[in-house]
Amino acid sequence: MSVLLKAEHIDKRFGITHAVNDVSIDVSAGEIRALIGENGSGKSTFCQMLCGIYTIGGGTFTLDGQVVNVKNQVEANKLGVSIIVQEMGTLSGLTVAENIFLGHEEPFMSHGIKNTRAMIREGQKLLDAYGFNSIRAGAMIDSYNFEDRKLVEIVKATYMKPKILIVDETTTALSQNGRLELYKIMDSVKADGRSVIFISHDLNEILTHCDTISILRDGEYIDTVKASEIDEDGLKRLMVGREIGSAYYRTDYGKAISPEVVLSVKNVTVPGQIENISFDLHRGEILGFGGLSECGMHEVGKAVFGASLDRSGTVTLSDGTAINDIPSAVKHSIAYASKDRDNESIILNESIRNNIVLPSLDDLAESHLLKAGKLNHFAQEYAEKMQTKMQGIHQLVSDLSGGNKQKVVLARWLGKGSDILVLDSPTRGIDVKVKQAIYALMQELTAQGKSIIMISEEIPELLGMSDRILIMKDGKINGEFMRSESLSEEDLIAKMV
Amino acid sequence: MAKNDEMRPSILDSDTFKGLLPFIGLVVILGVMYWLTDGRIMQPKRLRLLLSQVYYPMIVATGVFFVMTLGSIDFTEGSTLGVASIVISQLSFYSIPLAVVGGILTGAAIGAVNGFFHVRFRLQSFIVTICTMYLFRGVCAYFTTETAVPASAAIKALDSDNLKIGITLAVLIVAFFLFKFTRIGNDVKATGSGETAARFSGVRTDRVKFFAFVAAGALTGLAAFVNVIKVGSITSTAGNQLETQILISLVLGGLPITGGSKVRFSNIVVGTLMYTVLNNGLVMLGYDSATQQLIKGVVFLIFVALTIDRKALKVIK
Repeated sequence: MSVLLKAEHIDKRFGITHAVNDVSIDVSAGEIRALIGENGSGKSTFCQMLCGIYTIGGGTFTLDGQVVNVKNQVEANKLGVSIIVQEMGTLSGLTVAENIFLGHEEPFMSHGIKNTRAMIREGQKLLDAYGFNSIRAGAMIDSYNFEDRKLVEIVKATYMKPKILIVDETTTALSQNGRLELYKIMDSVKADGRSVIFISHDLNEILTHCDTISILRDGEYIDTVKASEIDEDGLKRLMVGREIGSAYYRTDYGKAISPEVVLSVKNVTVPGQIENISFDLHRGEILGFGGLSECGMHEVGKAVFGASLDRSGTVTLSDGTAINDIPSAVKHSIAYASKDRDNESIILNESIRNNIVLPSLDDLAESHLLKAGKLNHFAQEYAEKMQTKMQGIHQLVSDLSGGNKQKVVLARWLGKGSDILVLDSPTRGIDVKVKQAIYALMQELTAQGKSIIMISEEIPELLGMSDRILIMKDGKINGEFMRSESLSEEDLIAKMV
Repeated sequence: MAKNDEMRPSILDSDTFKGLLPFIGLVVILGVMYWLTDGRIMQPKRLRLLLSQVYYPMIVATGVFFVMTLGSIDFTEGSTLGVASIVISQLSFYSIPLAVVGGILTGAAIGAVNGFFHVRFRLQSFIVTICTMYLFRGVCAYFTTETAVPASAAIKALDSDNLKIGITLAVLIVAFFLFKFTRIGNDVKATGSGETAARFSGVRTDRVKFFAFVAAGALTGLAAFVNVIKVGSITSTAGNQLETQILISLVLGGLPITGGSKVRFSNIVVGTLMYTVLNNGLVMLGYDSATQQLIKGVVFLIFVALTIDRKALKVIK
C-alpha cells in the first residue's frame, strides 16, 4: 500500500512540558490507524498540529506528496485534512447548515450576500445522504442534543471527502447508534482508499474497527502493531510500559448484598428526565446504573444528590433524613462526581487545595475559623492519598489532565468521608492506569461499608464492578440484574433499547 | 475552536507579576506625582487632605469587593450613598446612633433589592443595578431638588480624622477577617471562580450572592454616615459617579473583573489609594476636569488590559 501521510520528527513543547517528542509515523492509503496512549501521551496534540489547531513545533507532515503546515482548520480542510474533536465542535447560535459549511460558504455567496435557502437545501441533501434525516439543516444547532450535534460534526468533517479524517475521542460522546454510524463512515473512507486516524480509550473498539495501532507514551512514539496480532492486554502493556495487573475489574462473585438499606429513593420524578424512579441502596454495595445516554440515568445521580430542579418524590437516608438540596446531601455524607466534570465537579480556576477543602470547610473550621495551615495539610493528605500528579496543592486544577482532575474530585469526597458516593461516569476519558486506581478505590471503599451508585455508559464497567445493575430506558427503570459471571453485555443491551 | 497557542509564560502574563502590578502602579503614580508637583503632594497638609478623601470610598470599595469577587458588578453605590445620606441627615436630629443604624439599614435594603432581583430572577447584576441606580438616583433627586437636605449640628460636630480612620480601619479589619478566615469569604470566592461547581460542592450560592449585595449596600450606608459628617448637607449630586470611582479603584488595585480565585484583599487598599493619589495629583497640577477624566480613562484602560485574566474571561455575571 502506498503511504498517504508521512509524519517525520514531529515535535511540540508547551513551556516545560514536552508534549510530542520526535514522533515519526507513516499512514498508508486505505487504512484505519488507531493512535493510543494514556492521557497526556501527546496523541491529541499530534493530530491537532496536523490540522492547524496548534502550530507545528518541529518536523514535517507530508500528505500525498505535499507538505502540510497549516494555520487553521479551514486551510487544513482545503488540503484534505479534517478532524472531529472530543469537545463540542459546533458553534451555537448558528443553524445546522451554517455549521456544516462554516469556512466554506463561497459556493453560496454571490456579491457578498449569502443564499441561505441554497445552503439549507445543500445541507439537508448531505444530512439525508448520511441517513441523518431527523436533523433539519435549517434548524438552530442549539435545538439538538450533544449526540446529534456530533453527527452534524461528522457530516461537516467528511462531506468534502478529506484524504485524512481524524476522529479524536468522539465515540465517548456517542450512543451505540451514533457509534455505528461513525464506524460506517470510517469504513467508507477506507474503501475509497483514503485514511482515518482514530483516537480512543476504548481498546475493544480499537481492536474491532482499526487495522493498525500506533502507541504513544509520554509524547514518544513506542510502536505500531497490527490489530489482528495483538489483544487488549498487549496494548495496555505497550501504553503503560509495564504489566497491568489482572485486578482491573472485580474478580469476586457471589458476595451477598447486605440487607441494610442506607438510602431509599421513592417515586422520584423529574419532568422530562425521569419518571417514578424507586430503588434502595444497600450498605457496601456498588449499584450500577446503565442505559443509553438519554435514558435519564445521569439525572438519577443528580436527583439523589438533591441537585435536580423540580424533583418530586423522596430521597431518604436510613435515619429518615430527607435529601432535598445539595447542602443537606453533602452534610449527610453523600458525595457526587458528575459526568460533566469540568463544570459540575471541580472549579477549574481554583487551586487543587481549594477544590479539595471546599465541601469540608465546616468540618475544618475551629469555632468558625479557617486556618491556612490546616487546610493545606488536609488537601495535601488527600491529594497524596489519590496519588494526584501535581506540582503542588496550589496549582490550578485547569492545568491537570482529565485523570488527575478526577483524582482531585475523588480526593475531596474521600476527605469529606462521605458514606454514599454517586459516581457518574467515573472513568470517562481516563486512561487505564487511573482507571485501575479508581476501581481499586471503589472496592476499598465498599469494603469499609460505604455504598456506591455508579452510573456508566460503559457496559464492561457495569458488568465488571457492580453488585447489582439497574438498566434504564426512557426515564424509567427497565430491568434489574444481580452480579453474575454468566451475565453478558447482550443481556444488558436487550433492556436498554 | 483554535486553542490558545504556545503557552509560553511571558513575564507580563505571570501571576506573580500581575499580583505585584498594583503595588508597582501605586509607587509609580506616587513617584510621577511627586516629581510633577515638585514634592508638594507629600506635604503634611496635602497628605491629610488626601487621607480625608480616602475614607468613605475605601469603606464602599470593601463592600463592592465582595460583589466583584463573585464576578458581578454593582452600579448603585452612588445613589445608595445619596439616599442613605438623606436618611442619616434626617435621623441625625433625633439621635446619632439611630442615624448610623438607619443609614446602614437603608443601604442594606437597597442591596437586598439588588440581590433579590439578581438571584431570584437570574438577571445579570449589571442590568439590575443599572436599573436600581436610576431608581434610587431618582429618589435622591426627589428629596433634594428644592433645597439641600441639612444634617444636624451634632453630627457635623463629630468630624474628626480619628473617628473616620477608626471606622475605616474597623471595616477593613472585619472584612479581611471574614474574607480570609471564614466560610463566607471562601464561599464568595468559590462562587466567583465557578458557580456551578461551587453549588455542586454544597455552597449555597444564591445565599452567598444575596449576602454580597446586602454587604455592599450596608457598607455604602455606613460610608454615607462618614460622608454626612464631612459635608453636613445633602444635595442632589451626593455620591455622583461614586460607582465608577469604586469600580476604577478596585480594578486599579488589581481586582480581576472576572472575580474568583485571583482576587486579593489588598486590591481594596492599594486601589483606593492609587485612585485618590491620581485624582489629587491631577487637581494639584491644575488640569481642568475634562482633561482629568481623559487621563484617568487612559490609566484605567492600561490597567485593565494588563491585569485582566484572559483565561477566565467570560461576560460579567
